[in-house]
Amino acid sequence: MTKVEKGLITTRRGMLLGVGAAGSALAAGLGGAPAAETQGTQVTDAPVSDKTQERQPFYGKHQAGIVTPRPAAGMIASFHVLAQTPAEVERLFRTLSERIAFLMKGGTPPAFDDKLPPADSGLLGPVVPPDNLTMTVSLGSSFFDQRDWLVPHKPVRLSRMKASPNDALDADLCHGDLALQISSNTPDTNIHALRDILKNLPDLMVLRWKQEGSVPVLPPKPDGSHESARNFLGFRDGSANPDAGNAALMDRVVWVSEGSDEPAWSQGGTYQVVRIIRNFVERWDRTPLGEQERIIGRKKATGAPFGGGTTEHDLPDYAKDPEGQVTPLDAHIRMANHRNATSDANLILRRPFNYSNGVSKSGQLEQGLLFICYQADLERGFITVQRQLDGEPLEEYIKPIGGGFFFTPPGPLDETDFVGRTLLEATGHAVTRIKS
Amino acid sequence: MKLRITLASSLFALAAAAVPATAEVSPLDLVQPIADYKIYVSENSEKLVTDTKAFTDAVKAGDLDKAKSLFGSTRMSYEAIEPIAELFSDLDGSIDSRADDHEKAEKDPEFTGFHRIEYGLFAENSTKDLEPFADKLMADVTELNKRITELTLPPEKVVGGAAVLMEEVAATKISGEEDRYSHTDLWDFKANFDGSRKIFDLVRPLIEKDDNAFVAKVSGNFDAVDATLSKYKTADGYQLYDKLTDDDRAVLAAKVNTLAEDLSTLRGKLGLN
Ligand code: HEM
Ligand SMILES: [Cu+2]
Repeated sequence: MTKVEKGLITTRRGMLLGVGAAGSALAAGLGGAPAAETQGTQVTDAPVSDKTQERQPFYGKHQAGIVTPRPAAGMIASFHVLAQTPAEVERLFRTLSERIAFLMKGGTPPAFDDKLPPADSGLLGPVVPPDNLTMTVSLGSSFFDQRDWLVPHKPVRLSRMKASPNDALDADLCHGDLALQISSNTPDTNIHALRDILKNLPDLMVLRWKQEGSVPVLPPKPDGSHESARNFLGFRDGSANPDAGNAALMDRVVWVSEGSDEPAWSQGGTYQVVRIIRNFVERWDRTPLGEQERIIGRKKATGAPFGGGTTEHDLPDYAKDPEGQVTPLDAHIRMANHRNATSDANLILRRPFNYSNGVSKSGQLEQGLLFICYQADLERGFITVQRQLDGEPLEEYIKPIGGGFFFTPPGPLDETDFVGRTLLEATGHAVTRIKS
Repeated sequence: MKLRITLASSLFALAAAAVPATAEVSPLDLVQPIADYKIYVSENSEKLVTDTKAFTDAVKAGDLDKAKSLFGSTRMSYEAIEPIAELFSDLDGSIDSRADDHEKAEKDPEFTGFHRIEYGLFAENSTKDLEPFADKLMADVTELNKRITELTLPPEKVVGGAAVLMEEVAATKISGEEDRYSHTDLWDFKANFDGSRKIFDLVRPLIEKDDNAFVAKVSGNFDAVDATLSKYKTADGYQLYDKLTDDDRAVLAAKVNTLAEDLSTLRGKLGLN
């Protein structure tokens, strides 16, 4: 703390003391200082949250962070994996799982001799709070392709992301052997988690790129209902998402299930798509409201579809609107989901964050959507939906610059298990299930 | 092995974060390694003077090809002892700063030293107007050599230097931005690794008996780096940095990060602050 700050504080306290109890009561009565200010709060006091102890389960059939409600802060980090042999890959998977289990649960890192670097970065303090953290591990196409012994076990639809017509992909923001989706209540918790992984796995993974994002926080509604957060175009994002609370629906839309033609080890897993999509927000903000709404296909304020809907949860009726009089045929939501007899097969679960990265060379804001979605079938899911969207009017305002396709293995069942175990077993690599 | 840890509440954290051991080392044990290191540093700083003389003579004689060919190798003795050279921040700035350390980048009058000359030779493809920079560089390395002779090496700087060299590579060299005009970065890498390994090797006997696994892991990683770098060896040095494949760059990055992580415990292991 600087002398000046100290001086100011002393002065203020001194003044309050000086006028005495009656005087300060008078000052408060006059509506001068709000109560908090007189209780000695300081400008650099930490903002408070009653959610730091929120905890998501790490163990389960599926990895956490997919049907888990999206918290305020998210990140995708993409890595080059050095582990080559089955033994090295096992060490990678086990260490990742051990670190994630600890970080999601929270607790006290070990204390080392103070002549040594500390075990933990300490940026969340000596006791790590869970803060609603989830860390989701996914594997890229190259992870399989570059290891002969994994090639036969590659998920059938996993491919390297190809550029769509509107893409301007930056090689430094694309693909990766392994992706971590980190989400929690605060960006600092995500950064802490990332630094923990980097510190514990320097020999097996090298960070290639990362993108952080956020979603705006809303006050709780008196009637307990929920609404979708808005993206940087000012529209609610997620309204028409399939219901993540409906397990049967998720089994169909998101999870690779029994009876699919995917390898058995991948059951309970899902395909993850990441797209870093820049939004030209200055231009968007100079676009008439009506046009913005026609481009998306929904009302901006409420998120309701056209044709008499009042909330974001109302559904558009395209059967009654074949000419696009109500919802234009080229509106984003209509091209993304035709809502006809076959389009149910193309449902995806979107879990995006907004990102903001600074200023472009032209002095415009570098911001947009860290689009993340999950689906049981990559081709019928994202790839089909994106193909339907190619050429949409929204393209004038967006430019995909990065991302990749990944497969998210099933979750670790219990403390003897680890993410990726079923894959290793499928290759014939013997794995001992011990409690770590 | 002497474990100095407070028991952690988390089994998981314990399992994953290999608990570093600290060896029982008395300050006297360090006297010989430090003396040996002093010799290594002096040899390098003297070689730097000799090599820089040949290099700057070529620049001043307008012999562009010769100057270019000497650039990569001349820097090596500087890079090998960088943690010590950096103790003299005025000289480190004038000898080895990069354009982006200066507000006006390449055009900044304060931008001098190796990289300023590199800019002239490789980006402008000329020795024109480089004479004053050549004279200044020669004067600076001569001064550096003099100061190093008079220097008493602080043990924690020496031992810490092993990790510092890796931190430098990890933070600003693996990207190829150090020798951005000449792309002779692999020469620098080699020198940085050798300089780091020298320090490690000198103190190695002090930790070997207590922590053999650590010693084996670190030397294994140094060996792996050598093996990767040797793929790029040519008759008179190394291939240009843009020849490095993405995979090898990732291997080097992982080894550098791991060495940086492990060598960061070296001071503590030797009981130094
Ligand atoms: C920056 C880029 C994007 C923006 C700003 C954006 C915005 C929106 C908005 C505002 C909605 C309406 C509310 C909702 O249902 O969530 C929506 C719906 C949707 N978007 Fe996007 N989106 C973007 C990219 C994508 C991409 C890349 C895909 C997939 C390839 C996609 C697929 C969908 C789907 C499937 C719906 C739901 C349509 C429905 O079922 O009615 N969006 N998007
Ligand atoms: Cu340097």
